[in-house]
Amino acid sequence: MSRIIATRAIRGAHKLVARAERELAAAIAEMGPDTRVEFPNTGYYLPISHGILGLRIETLGGLRDLLAEAKELLPPVPSDNLWLPYLGNTLDAGMATLFADEIIEAIKYTRTPLPYLPETHPKDGRLWLGAANDVIMRERGIEFVDNTAPGFAACVGYCPTNEIAVRIARELQEKNLYVFMSAATDGKSMAQQLAEEGIEMGWETRLVPFGDDVTATIHALGFSTRVALSFGGAQPGDYQRVLRYNKNRVFAFVLALGPVDDEKHAQAAGAINYGFPTIADTDIDNILPTGICTYEHVVSPVPHDRIVSKAIEVRGLKISVTKVPIPVPFGPAFQGERIRKEDMYVELAGTEKHGFEYLTGKGSDEVEDGKIEVVGPEIDEVTEGSQLPLALWVEVAGRQMQPDFEPILERRLHDFMNMAHGVFHMGQRDINWVRVSKEAKDQGFRFRHFGSIIHAKIHGEFGKIVDKVQVKIYTREKEVMDLIETARKVYRQRDERLAGLTDEAVETFYSCTLCQSFAPNHVCVITPERSGLCGAYNWLDGKAAHQINPTGPNQPILKAQAVDAIRGQWQGINEFVFNASHKTLQVFSAYSIIDNPMTSCGCFECISCVLPSTNGIMTVYRNFPGMTPSGMKFSTLAGTVGGGLQTPGFIGHSKRYVASSKFISAEGGAKRVVWMNRELKEELEPDLRKIGRREGVENLFEMIADETVAVTEEEVLAHITKMNHPALSMPPLF
Amino acid sequence: MKTIAIAGKGGTGKSTTAALIIRWLSERKSRSILAVDADSNVNLNDLLGVRLKETVGAIREEMRNRIADLPGGMTKQQFLEYKIQTSLVEGPHFDLIAMGRPEGPGCYCYANNLLQDILGTLAGNYDYVVIDNEAGMEHLSRRTSQAIDYLLIVSDATARGIATAGKISRLLRELETRVGQRYLILNRVAGPVSNTVEAAIHEEEFSLLATIPEDDTLLKMDREGIPIWSVAASSPARLAVDRMMDSLDP
Repeated sequence: MSRIIATRAIRGAHKLVARAERELAAAIAEMGPDTRVEFPNTGYYLPISHGILGLRIETLGGLRDLLAEAKELLPPVPSDNLWLPYLGNTLDAGMATLFADEIIEAIKYTRTPLPYLPETHPKDGRLWLGAANDVIMRERGIEFVDNTAPGFAACVGYCPTNEIAVRIARELQEKNLYVFMSAATDGKSMAQQLAEEGIEMGWETRLVPFGDDVTATIHALGFSTRVALSFGGAQPGDYQRVLRYNKNRVFAFVLALGPVDDEKHAQAAGAINYGFPTIADTDIDNILPTGICTYEHVVSPVPHDRIVSKAIEVRGLKISVTKVPIPVPFGPAFQGERIRKEDMYVELAGTEKHGFEYLTGKGSDEVEDGKIEVVGPEIDEVTEGSQLPLALWVEVAGRQMQPDFEPILERRLHDFMNMAHGVFHMGQRDINWVRVSKEAKDQGFRFRHFGSIIHAKIHGEFGKIVDKVQVKIYTREKEVMDLIETARKVYRQRDERLAGLTDEAVETFYSCTLCQSFAPNHVCVITPERSGLCGAYNWLDGKAAHQINPTGPNQPILKAQAVDAIRGQWQGINEFVFNASHKTLQVFSAYSIIDNPMTSCGCFECISCVLPSTNGIMTVYRNFPGMTPSGMKFSTLAGTVGGGLQTPGFIGHSKRYVASSKFISAEGGAKRVVWMNRELKEELEPDLRKIGRREGVENLFEMIADETVAVTEEEVLAHITKMNHPALSMPPLF
Repeated sequence: MKTIAIAGKGGTGKSTTAALIIRWLSERKSRSILAVDADSNVNLNDLLGVRLKETVGAIREEMRNRIADLPGGMTKQQFLEYKIQTSLVEGPHFDLIAMGRPEGPGCYCYANNLLQDILGTLAGNYDYVVIDNEAGMEHLSRRTSQAIDYLLIVSDATARGIATAGKISRLLRELETRVGQRYLILNRVAGPVSNTVEAAIHEEEFSLLATIPEDDTLLKMDREGIPIWSVAASSPARLAVDRMMDSLDP
């Protein structure tokens, strides 16, 4: 907690409450306590006192109650020897300030002529509009609810130059934010600066000049209080709900421009109550710890060219770009469009040139939202039919961003780029290929628009995790080759991380019911460590397939509570399997061959079954034509295992599953394997050796019999006895 | 998009007819043509005079064999799509894709399911898709082909040939493949069509679209390995196909 800010805010609150008391006494003395007070053309009482306290103030006399509340809240100014003032006191001072503001502004409306214009925009050289009336409230307030306008920037003070004022106003408008302006400093205000530059202001343009007095800032908070009452279902006086609604739904913040006096500090403290942080261009110290606001409370000093993006970041405002700003039609309908060679203007990467695409998370200060650079020739600088290298280098920043999300976002670049009419994109990472059509080029499409697409779509689809996106597009061999190794290094790291993905590390598995057409009661459950039994589908494929076709045969299944972690049974999986198997299977073990093993369609690459006398299992690959020690050939075994039947002692599975640490782990894993057909065994040799080392059975590979040493169960037993195979000393299978 | 499927048993000159149809389309209609060689004895590319890069079948095998180490963390969908898109032969008059040899043992549900999507989407980019099918109609039965606007069954002018054509036609009915118009083409016809053949056509309820005469030029080109694509406009077979397509006007 900043002692400086707290002290100044509390001091400012004292000054404003004193001023309110003075002005109220004078007004009552002059006009009498029964003089009506209201904000014109509003069916409501004064918004702050009504919303926060439930007071229904209609007269000057009634304002005395509000003054009493303000004085009650007012904490003492921290003494010089109090080093750590409490945030609560500052918040109370802020609320007292808002009450004082409302008293002062309400008194102004008892005067004639009215202090503010009745119009919705400046007129005849007069600037200030004051409180919003009910018509504005109905028209504009709803925009805060349906997200047409995410919120507002309450701008107090003035900018060093008119040009900066205009730039900040435009930047805020581009983000669909309202710009509420009040509180002149030394007679100068941002609204006046905009007026001098001939900028059109008013509710229509979302640039709203409230008033030059510091107390006019209350019209911003009054407005958002009424939004909570009218649209947020908050009851008058339910201050918790009013404030929480504003914190969660109205993305507002204070921009303190120029010198910040005590009274403005006090306004900032008031805004913090609503969850609205203050960002200042001068050094007014910071209140960084999170608490009332979503993130920081006060951040300063921030340079003008970054103040809007900083404010958006601190407030946690998510920018959505509803229309992708490119000169060609854009939408999912254009996915799957192939640009034929004849229609193509330029080709990037692919089989002829190097290329890659890469997305990485960065610190918020390193990313400038919306910045797009093209390094190398633009599309209009190359001839028709050119082939160019391509690097798409995307940097994102976000408070919720994690390295694990990078590949997920990166993989979506494919979908995003393909949505542009006239753009064809294939592949990912360093196997990518892009074409742009002649038609798109003629319509004005440029390489930089790749960046526009990526920027807009990442904000749109990943707004929860990403706050800022910048894109660099390289079309020159030198730069592409300089960067490709960096990207490749990261790709490798990601693959390693993915290879280490365990069943425990994920919350959801994926179902596969692709084969239900011929095994109607069968359902595959695909986990990171157990791929589909056909070997074709792993967990990531399931996930990707689900993203592509959300209602398709691959559905996410929440594991939920583990029923038996050793056998691999979970409540969520059992429930799903019960329904998906048309109520034929109640329990399903992912890691056991004995106890309710997973069923098979018929597509399994391998079959494993128990050889009872050996206390172990045999595994046979589907193209092994010979007899196995089970007394059955693969084809006969397949009849036992397939068709969605649960047969204890038999499972169908993929080749790779043998190498998984979850391979029949309930029964002790791969060291149960006593026989394998030779071809399979040789293919899996590196894995079997690795498992042997892990399990402390150095020559496991040699211990496992194959058809060259054993074709009957007796011969297998003889072989493993001779080799002292670990299965013999393991707990009995049954 | 309009789909023209050409079917018939081996040796009837079905691929030659397909090549001539593609030539007619590219000259008269549009050069946005996807030629699909769905015959496992891949040869349409030779007839059209283009070099083949890779067949879909080979790509499918590669994917199945590289399950554990697909490049670049790609999903199989993406890998398959990328490979198929790059395997496309792009000519000035048409693009060509070859299905290649049929699947071996093992489960192809997954790969075929992906293929169906990818090929379906790809085909949607063209004004015309011309499929040269093998007799067994594997790709039609696998639904790797979509609805067919024109099914042209090619037969020689023998009663037995027409009976076979009838079987192919019935097979498609059983597969419930949506077929718009269905015609018979008699190929390599020397002399007038006999009464027995006419009776067979009637019995199989075929409507005869055209008869294409025996053409020595084509036989010679075939023997010498010269692409049929470059056949002279005066070749009787080509003239017959051109007339046929003029009247069909797809």
